[in-house]
Amino acid sequence: MNAASDIVIAVRRLAAGYGGRPILRDISFEVRRGEVFVVVGGSGSGKSTLLKHIIGLFPPLQGEVWIEGENIVSARGEARARLLRRFGVVYQNGALFGSMTVAENVRLPLDEFTDLPEVGKEHIVLAKLKLVGLTGAADLMPAELSGGMQKRAAIARAMALDPPILFLDEPSAGLDPVTSAGLDVLIKQLSRCFGITFVIVTHDLASINAIADRLIMLDAQSGTIIAKGSPADLRDHSTNPLVRSFFNRQATPGQTINEVKFYGCENQ
Amino acid sequence: MSLSDPKTTAVQAEVQAREGGRVTVVLRGALDVQTMGGLWRELEARLRPLKVVALEVDATALHLCGGGGLALLRYLKMGGFTPTAKVTLCGLNEDLDQLLWLFAQEDPEVPRAGHWRTASVPEEIGASARGFTRDLREQVAFLGTMAAELAGAIFHPERLRWREVKRLCIAAGANALPIVSLLSLLVGLMIGFESAGPLAQFGAQIFIANMVGFGAVRGLGPMMTAIMLAGRSGAAFAAEIGTMKVTEELAALTTMGLDPIRFLALQRVTAGIILTPVLTVYTMFAGMLGGTLLMVSLGFSIPEIYNQMTTQLHLHDVGFGLGKSVVFGAIFSSVGCLRGFQTGQGPIAVGVSATRAVVTSILLIILADTVFAGAGFLLG
Repeated sequence: MNAASDIVIAVRRLAAGYGGRPILRDISFEVRRGEVFVVVGGSGSGKSTLLKHIIGLFPPLQGEVWIEGENIVSARGEARARLLRRFGVVYQNGALFGSMTVAENVRLPLDEFTDLPEVGKEHIVLAKLKLVGLTGAADLMPAELSGGMQKRAAIARAMALDPPILFLDEPSAGLDPVTSAGLDVLIKQLSRCFGITFVIVTHDLASINAIADRLIMLDAQSGTIIAKGSPADLRDHSTNPLVRSFFNRQATPGQTINEVKFYGCENQ
Repeated sequence: MSLSDPKTTAVQAEVQAREGGRVTVVLRGALDVQTMGGLWRELEARLRPLKVVALEVDATALHLCGGGGLALLRYLKMGGFTPTAKVTLCGLNEDLDQLLWLFAQEDPEVPRAGHWRTASVPEEIGASARGFTRDLREQVAFLGTMAAELAGAIFHPERLRWREVKRLCIAAGANALPIVSLLSLLVGLMIGFESAGPLAQFGAQIFIANMVGFGAVRGLGPMMTAIMLAGRSGAAFAAEIGTMKVTEELAALTTMGLDPIRFLALQRVTAGIILTPVLTVYTMFAGMLGGTLLMVSLGFSIPEIYNQMTTQLHLHDVGFGLGKSVVFGAIFSSVGCLRGFQTGQGPIAVGVSATRAVVTSILLIILADTVFAGAGFLLG
């Protein structure tokens, strides 16, 4: 297998934003098959914007996004529909359909896009829920689930059609460290067992260190990529002060309140 | 530009039947949900008729197996197609083999919000009655609180956030003018059309003016305005407050020491009480205009119509209509707010609250109108 066929996502000179106002400029990177690729950056750096443009929710201002050999920006009609079935997306709050049970949420893509027999669909739903450890929650409504369970149910739904690529937007947002670590283990297992390529947007340092094979870091001010590589590379060898601040969890200059004197604290 | 072709080579299954009921199924290619559409049916069709004693599933040639593929392998292994056979599976990689083994394990029980079971008819009647009385109690309690808050606001108008009241009056009242105008005009025309035929038989078409006048001023005008506002603005009140509850903004208000009823409902009910009579006056004119247009088309002159209306219609009729509209305004706005406060969890709950607000408002408005009509009749 050559290097080119190993690339499942290629973003070329992407400029993205809303209402003609660019938030991201000149973004280029590639994601290899089977890796866990993470997009990091501070709040407001455009991580979720980048994700939404990669999955085709919004048209980019310029540039191309290639997924499994198809340009999602120019894909139309049946080609676009086929491409959309090649990946699953897990949104920040799960985005489960509140009027359906967990099992019905997972079953929906199977009903819409496959001609499997009923018994097949039932077993596939059970298998997906088993993979994320939610078999016992099949008949619960999303509102009855905890935050971590909602995320896992959303992953089960995103995997319903066995897509080779999964996009996750802030999977650990709002979760406690233990639940978050459990989600990291699940992501690694799914990547190893099924060869799923993960593209994950997060700023959770513990998750980044636990799951990322490679990552890119976005800068809020310039709207560009300021670092690429493995977490260890960036953590140990980067000379960029923003990257070092991020990995060492230090405030960057201009973010501190050292100069502010609080009433009653002058002598401290 | 082309990067890589999707690895979607279709899955193939070869069924080898041998003597003594021994069958081997050899799977090749990529086994996932998107490629195995026909495979499930094909295996069922080929394996079910056979009297299989021993089934061997060979997965060595599978180069890809997704979660859906795993479900099929599990179904084969549990004898789904061959209930009487002893099934063995070989050639699966270690990770997938472990997952398949995991599938056989029981999950820990997930705690449920409430165990579901079928309730008997008496239980359902009891639960409905309990729900109805609880709702009634909440409505009465809310009505009492609102009355106290409104009374307080009359003596201390500074308690009201007037800027918010103005915003609500514009959103719920001024912006509703086009639809209210159109509907009122049409109702006036409709009353005229319906009464024109029967009255013509007695040569009494001039009395269309009385019918339209009374309808627009005392009866239908205030009620139609209130029903339109209940559908448009009452539902909006319920949805706004309901969304605030779902997003925990109400909890934030409470923990800040602010009473949500005083902070949110008081302004909305005040806006409802102010704007409903104003819109009702407008509706009265629009309704009478509709009737007048019809009468003009029937050959009556404007002075004739005006005289007929004013001889029968008095100022106390207008006052009666406006008095009703104040009550109707209080009903739709308080019900909208109450249903908003009663919103449950999740995005569906907001829709349910908006629907309940409209249904309850219309029911109470018609009930109140019946009481007004009865009282008007009895008191002359």
